[in-house]
Amino acid sequence: MPEQNKSKIALWWRNLNVKHSLGLSLILLVLTTVLYFALQPNLFKSGTVSHLLTSNFRTWLPVILVTVGQAIVILGGGLDLSNGAIVSVGNVILALTVTTVDEPGKNILMVLVVIAFGIAAGFLNGFFTAYLGLQPVIITFASSFVYSGLALLLLPSPGGNIPREYTTFYRSTQFLGIPLALIVIVLIALIWTFFRRRKYGQFLFAVGGNDKAAYTTGVPVTWVKISTYVISGFLASLAAISYTLLTGSGLSSSGDDMTLASVTGAVLGGISMSGGAGSVLGAIFGGIVLGNIRNIISTLKLNSWWRTLVNALLIVLVLAGPGLINLLRRKKK
Amino acid sequence: MKSIVLCTENIEKRFGGVIALKDGSIEIRPGEVLALVGSNGSGKSTLTKVITGVLSSDGGTITYHDKPVSYSNPMAAQRAGIMAVYQELSLIPSLTVAQNIWLANEPKTRFGSIDSKTMNAETAKLLTLFEGTFQPSLHPEAYVRDLPLDERQIVEILKAYSRKPEVLILDEATASLDSKQVNCLFDLIQLLKSEDKGLVFVSHRMDEIFRIADRAVILRNGKTVGEVLIADSNEDEIVHLMVGSNVGLTRELGGRMTFSAQESVLIVEDLENEQLNGVSFNIKQGELVGIGGLRGQGQSSLLHTLFGNSHYTGKITLFDETLSFDHPKEAIEHGVALIPGDRATEGLLLLRSIFENFHLPNWAKYCRPLLKMKSAHSDAEEMGKQLNLIMESLDAPVSSLSGGNAQKVVIGKWLLREPKLLLLDDPTKGVDVGTKSEFYKLLVKLQENGTTILFYSSDEQELLDLCERVLVMQDGKVKADLSGDNLTEANLVFHSMGATNNNNHHEESTHA
Repeated sequence: MPEQNKSKIALWWRNLNVKHSLGLSLILLVLTTVLYFALQPNLFKSGTVSHLLTSNFRTWLPVILVTVGQAIVILGGGLDLSNGAIVSVGNVILALTVTTVDEPGKNILMVLVVIAFGIAAGFLNGFFTAYLGLQPVIITFASSFVYSGLALLLLPSPGGNIPREYTTFYRSTQFLGIPLALIVIVLIALIWTFFRRRKYGQFLFAVGGNDKAAYTTGVPVTWVKISTYVISGFLASLAAISYTLLTGSGLSSSGDDMTLASVTGAVLGGISMSGGAGSVLGAIFGGIVLGNIRNIISTLKLNSWWRTLVNALLIVLVLAGPGLINLLRRKKK
Repeated sequence: MKSIVLCTENIEKRFGGVIALKDGSIEIRPGEVLALVGSNGSGKSTLTKVITGVLSSDGGTITYHDKPVSYSNPMAAQRAGIMAVYQELSLIPSLTVAQNIWLANEPKTRFGSIDSKTMNAETAKLLTLFEGTFQPSLHPEAYVRDLPLDERQIVEILKAYSRKPEVLILDEATASLDSKQVNCLFDLIQLLKSEDKGLVFVSHRMDEIFRIADRAVILRNGKTVGEVLIADSNEDEIVHLMVGSNVGLTRELGGRMTFSAQESVLIVEDLENEQLNGVSFNIKQGELVGIGGLRGQGQSSLLHTLFGNSHYTGKITLFDETLSFDHPKEAIEHGVALIPGDRATEGLLLLRSIFENFHLPNWAKYCRPLLKMKSAHSDAEEMGKQLNLIMESLDAPVSSLSGGNAQKVVIGKWLLREPKLLLLDDPTKGVDVGTKSEFYKLLVKLQENGTTILFYSSDEQELLDLCERVLVMQDGKVKADLSGDNLTEANLVFHSMGATNNNNHHEESTHA
């Protein structure tokens, strides 16, 4: 009997890896979470765990959102290096305009403006890369400077003041004891699962897998590619909203380190950089792993530059991993 | 005569300055298999791609169900019921067999999501059409990246079939299938025929054309040159139409050298790797040997293997020395030079000057201890003159040259090393006629100076004009070794197509 059980588990694990490329991200998620909790001095005091959960998810939400957007772009065979800059612009717009709770209509309008900006910026990226066939890395890197320039123009020095009511709402809203940020994450995962099982999901993987073959099969390749950038821009605008609610103020460089974080998160989540393989659930896990690493570094009272260093090292390791393993195998032969 | 479901008239297609198709005219009738026949570069694939909307035409009309149509993308053609099985497969490696077959045509559940269960079940049903001809590893949920080429081809065929096309074009669909799989495919074609579908069968294999096709349209140099009923025709007639008026003309032997007395400088025995299945031949000092055959039969791989660029088993003896090159560098040191087919990616630094390109493999010669730029310059100038290179100056970038002149630079850089064995990998592709003839003169001159040359060309005429001997390759083997009176265009085409019952042409085949 245990033999049979074992093979079932092995099969499940294999499926998880081959079908959804989730193996690596799950291992990292468990490892970093255990390490983080082990470092907490008050772990066994009542309330510590639930406090950690709520406070962490609201801090991680912006990065998880941009990571999911990045994952979708990479799945479709592209890369978005401008999502962090889109976050900055959204953050600056909100910090400048949402200053009082007395004008709810105007505030909602400004939120919509931020979302519209994210979608428009994403569409521009998609238009240049997918429609005109230009290099995604170059186009989105260049457009990131346009967007961060815009953010700096709007708000040269840090400032702005989001009404406390709103930040409190973000911090303490719970539904059945589940914090708002976690609900958003679960919603994203559900929406993804919904679309994954539809034509769109199939097309996304096909385009990322081999766009020429997808084109000859009758997949609307250009539109699928453009859509990935639009989704990434949209999620970046949501990240801007949650970031603003988290910090309560505006900073023209607020999204700067989110770009690299989103790529790292996607790669840690098992998204293949060449496109067409991976899962957005993995990207969410990847985003959480990044949050854990950030926490571990701050718990250990290390300098914050360690975070960038570790992020960058992780990305190089994860990307070079398969190549290094192949190299070792060949050497053995 | 049956009605016509789809007909093309005078289709034209140009790629830049190169005309791939001048006058493509075919008529597809329901319940009939039309074979599209032609040698390399005759425009078969281009014509099928125009019909299916992958390429847009530059002229001519397509009539489908009595209405003029023009599809700007494959989606539109598919919706109208025109499907193709492509030579370069349109599969996505990272998706499963079922996902590939049903891509953009997925069955849905009541809730609008993809019905994977039905998809897999339907795929399993489709696979029974090829039952017994593939490994158990081919199942609906297998990933295409894990499948060998023949099984991928089966998936590609089933993908087209599953869309229930009105017109199905099979472009070289049998090239990677074994005989059992071909039988299954032919059963499937018969089934579609009985359902009154229009079928187009593009193949290089004569025997298959005679087995399955009802009519054949022959293309030559992008033009429809003839149409025959298979029942009233024979292999010879088709070969005649393919090669045109100069059929049967043997090359003038005057001035050709005879090499029987000389020693072999290159002996190749049982060369094998992924693309080669046991190639054996030998070449004598100063011989100019052509390699012919259809594209992609292992010719480039053979040249690259001789140049130390890929792994192999077997034995290569060059100048009485058994070789085992691991790297092109070793081949170069032994006096071997390879002139690649794709000059833009494999042969030239386009943005650098002609001078730099000439000397890229040669700097060691001028370096003692400082670079002797003066003598390098005069050597380059000499080479430019010898090649009749039309250029602004040696310092102009290679990208400023025309295609033919750029190709001369690729050749020149190796000639500066004075190679003893020159390997050419389809060097005149996309080169204009004037440059070609200069190029031929150059090769003959080199040969007279004692250089041994192995020359692959996809242009049959070129092989006939230049070479004393031509090795015809098929499926990674040397299918025939033609020389003297046997070296005729008809024979060349005949062996390329894998035809066998040759009565009219004298031939000797080194390989069964």
